[in-house]
Amino acid sequence: MATSLEQYVGTVTHLSEQGNFLKLSEFISKSAEFLAKNASHLDNVIASLDYFETLYVQTQEFIFNCNGEHVRNATSNFADLCHKFTQYLMDTRQPAQAMRGIPILIKAINKIQLFPSQLTSIHSDLCKLCLQSKNLQPALQFLNVDFVDIGNEGGHYDAKDFLLYYYYGGMIYTALKSYDRALYFFEVAITTPSMAVSHIMMEAYKKYILVALILHGKIPALPKYTSQVVGKYIKPLCQPYYDLATSYSTNDPNDLRMNVNKHSEVFTKDNNMGLVKQCIISLYKKNIQRLTKTFLTLSLADMAGRVQLPSPSEAEKYVLRMIEDGEIFATINQKDGMVEFHDNPEKYNSAHMLLQLNTEMQKCIALDEKLQEMDRDITVNSQYVQKCTGLHEEEIPGSSNIKGQGY
Amino acid sequence: MPQQGIFQPLEEPMQVDASPEENENVKDGHTIVENTTLDLDSYAKQYEGIARLNRLIFIADHCPTLKVEALRMALAYVQTAHDTSLYQQIHRRLQEIPSTLPDAVANLPPLDNQWIEMTIKKGQLKLEKLDTDLKNYKSNSIKESIRRGNDDLGDHYLDMGDLCNALKCYSRARDYCTSPKHVVNMCLNVIKVSVYLENWSHVISYVQKAESTTGRTEDVDPIVQTKLKCAAGLADLATGKYKAAAKNFLQASFDNFNYPELLSSSNVATYGALCALASFDRQELQKNVISSSSFKLFLESDPQLRDILHMFYQSKYDSCLTLLEKIKNNLLLDMYLAPHVNALYIQIRNRALCQYFSPYLSADMHKMAEAFNTNVKDLEDELMQLILEGQINARIDSHNKILYAKDIDQRSSTFEKSIAMGQEYERRTKALILRSAMLKYQVQVK
Amino acid sequence: MAAIAYDSESVAELELQELESPGGIAAPNVYINLMAMYLLRNDLCNAKFLWKRIPSSIKSSHPELGHMWSVGQKMWQRDFPGIYEVLNREWPENLKPTMNALHESTRRRAINLVSKAYSSINMDTFATLVSVPLADVNKVAKAEGWTTDDDTKMVTPKKPEAPPDPCLPNEEHLSILTDYILKDS
Repeated sequence: MATSLEQYVGTVTHLSEQGNFLKLSEFISKSAEFLAKNASHLDNVIASLDYFETLYVQTQEFIFNCNGEHVRNATSNFADLCHKFTQYLMDTRQPAQAMRGIPILIKAINKIQLFPSQLTSIHSDLCKLCLQSKNLQPALQFLNVDFVDIGNEGGHYDAKDFLLYYYYGGMIYTALKSYDRALYFFEVAITTPSMAVSHIMMEAYKKYILVALILHGKIPALPKYTSQVVGKYIKPLCQPYYDLATSYSTNDPNDLRMNVNKHSEVFTKDNNMGLVKQCIISLYKKNIQRLTKTFLTLSLADMAGRVQLPSPSEAEKYVLRMIEDGEIFATINQKDGMVEFHDNPEKYNSAHMLLQLNTEMQKCIALDEKLQEMDRDITVNSQYVQKCTGLHEEEIPGSSNIKGQGY
Repeated sequence: MPQQGIFQPLEEPMQVDASPEENENVKDGHTIVENTTLDLDSYAKQYEGIARLNRLIFIADHCPTLKVEALRMALAYVQTAHDTSLYQQIHRRLQEIPSTLPDAVANLPPLDNQWIEMTIKKGQLKLEKLDTDLKNYKSNSIKESIRRGNDDLGDHYLDMGDLCNALKCYSRARDYCTSPKHVVNMCLNVIKVSVYLENWSHVISYVQKAESTTGRTEDVDPIVQTKLKCAAGLADLATGKYKAAAKNFLQASFDNFNYPELLSSSNVATYGALCALASFDRQELQKNVISSSSFKLFLESDPQLRDILHMFYQSKYDSCLTLLEKIKNNLLLDMYLAPHVNALYIQIRNRALCQYFSPYLSADMHKMAEAFNTNVKDLEDELMQLILEGQINARIDSHNKILYAKDIDQRSSTFEKSIAMGQEYERRTKALILRSAMLKYQVQVK
Repeated sequence: MAAIAYDSESVAELELQELESPGGIAAPNVYINLMAMYLLRNDLCNAKFLWKRIPSSIKSSHPELGHMWSVGQKMWQRDFPGIYEVLNREWPENLKPTMNALHESTRRRAINLVSKAYSSINMDTFATLVSVPLADVNKVAKAEGWTTDDDTKMVTPKKPEAPPDPCLPNEEHLSILTDYILKDS
């Protein structure tokens, strides 16, 4: 069976190389029945037919050369092409192939977007390829944008693409140790309106817990608008992670380690063991930070004892690392084997700080303006006006226009 | 890469079957007290009815040395009422005491079956009579009689140890109250039974009901008022609200105190003083406790307690804490105080530590340890906890063993807070803007 | 030959070059230069992912890439003596200036850290942290304006000076503040 298929492939490639299309089409039309019989093997056959490059080049050419205005009128088809293209590259399971898709998708996003702060469904594809190719940098130019709008792809935007974008984005930021931004991305994924349990959401929830522990040492409360599904169904499925957070809150690294060992199978299966290990390190750091709040001076030996590090020199390593990263303000005195803790030396009186404050204020003002703009949009929405005034259409002056718009 | 696999459902839901015993907190209510200076006889005589029985049984449960005596007293006392099942239960417990204590078992009177039978019969007859009476009152619809009938029935149920039915009867009287006085009386009955049932939220709500009723009348019975304050204080203590408890107990009037069915005057002194020590600052302590003429009278009965209060106020923490340690065992035999003794002691000690340091800019930890009966190392741990909890604004110089007061730079912390607040606003607003886009395009997991 | 430039523009340019390589695999030189740049920038996350995506055939044909990444690993652990140890090998001629620059920048980083983190430090520790022979400790410390004590074998570093505050154009700033207030009303 397989051999006759091989013969078939041989004939087809031979004929097409020769350019003998007449014979080729004759041959192909005759073999439909034969192919149907061997349907189960066809996938392998297709793989051996080397049209990968052709398809790649065709897609590349199309995306690079197509007219943006045109494709924006067929957004859902265009997005669909990108999804399929991405899947195709992913199926090769070769990081290098995935990477080849990245510049093309960047181009595709630029073409289909109306403005840079508009999220499209292709964004998640790009992140996927970046993760697969282990080349995270290209995704950042998009991830760093805060979206205010979502592309209207034929009146339809799949929640899965949305969730995946924020989940992958969170993973990319986590990998680059931008934990604050990662936490925000996971939060967006978790708080997506939801009527059913999504596995993406659940995985995002697990990572949310871990990143929150690394960053803040506790799980922050989720916003009120979080769907009930999260508390009702997803939380109970993440019990090992909750156990971890509970033991973290005791500030006892041994207790935390015990819990890590207890659930290590789950954490490994979920591909979260690396983050879990960072949680342990962050607990040591947090305990050292607690010491800085209570002590002016402390011997390295005492410190090691209090935070349960094996030796004074190990404690010194932690302190040194934290000083370099600006996580604590301290000076080590090797002569007496002591550490001296200081307050934050920032006095908020420098021009540098003033400029920084200025930027922060600008950001807040810009956001406030955006909100006011959105508010204005709502207040002039005729549907809204109608509801608020409690009037029937006929009673609103000039309501005939509104009727015409088909509300 | 981790993204594979999240599209498929997991083959099996994640393990959530953590073994239950790990999560259950072991109740630490079973402290055993070996040494006590309690004079059981005079202690018991301060209470009446179920209060006396409950307290004796609690002591029997927690103090092996007083067990026999407490049970025998309870046995003798229970026969003055109609609770035959409790009588049998106490008798059985006495019999179960191993014969290594020969006098206990030897002198044990045999189970008085005749008394049991007779009491059951008498109780039944009385119940039937009260029931018939009540039915008659109801058919004649005389409100006052129905109210009394319900109360009498409630009293009888209580006498037989049937708390739930007693509560029902007392509560039923509510619909037949014709004067504020009746309402208050009904409330007191419900409060009493609710205390026995340890239903504290019930106690609080009926105290409030009674207070709002008496609030409207001209002549408030001071005895009733004191009863209500004490009941409220007890409920606050039981639910761990020490400051509220202290305030309530401090409003009790000694001259009008008569509440043997719940509390003794020395209970009021102890509960009030300990809760005040644990929760009042120095000024409140001076104003509301030390110079309260009414509370002084309560304290008269307990000179040790009075000394503790004064020593605390005079900053003689060493002797104060030593004396507190001395009376601890007796306190652990008090059924309502026992679960809270440790928490109260910790709070009192913390308050003392904070108060000790409050006038200083820096303090020698060696001296401080001496003043608190401890060593420098343990003191350091205690102080560390207090600083982390924000109770003391200070830093420890562990090298020189000196505690330094820390003044907070208001300006810097204001800057710090406003920057954090701005960032939080930024984050929340961005999320909301994104969310409004989500809603607009109906992004939803279905 | 000078060490390679590692400003953001050069890095971005090289990243793009890698991204647009035919077949998704760049020339070995691109990887080597990128790795060098990431190390010089102390951008270890990106160095790590670069190492992960370099095809194994290139890794084996260019063993210096592996050696470079082993420096990155030591940097990841902030093991200063370890960094010097793996740096101390015969590098191919084209990499020499870069690796020397990396050695020098690591030493500089260590000296800054010592000045920030220590009020007194053992001469031995100091010597291993900043990669100088014990005999030269006095000289290096003096060059920084620090004092040393041969009896106690201690170096006493000075705190680094705060970077100069940028000068604020007062009028401009005042007008910004005025704007805030006007906007509000």
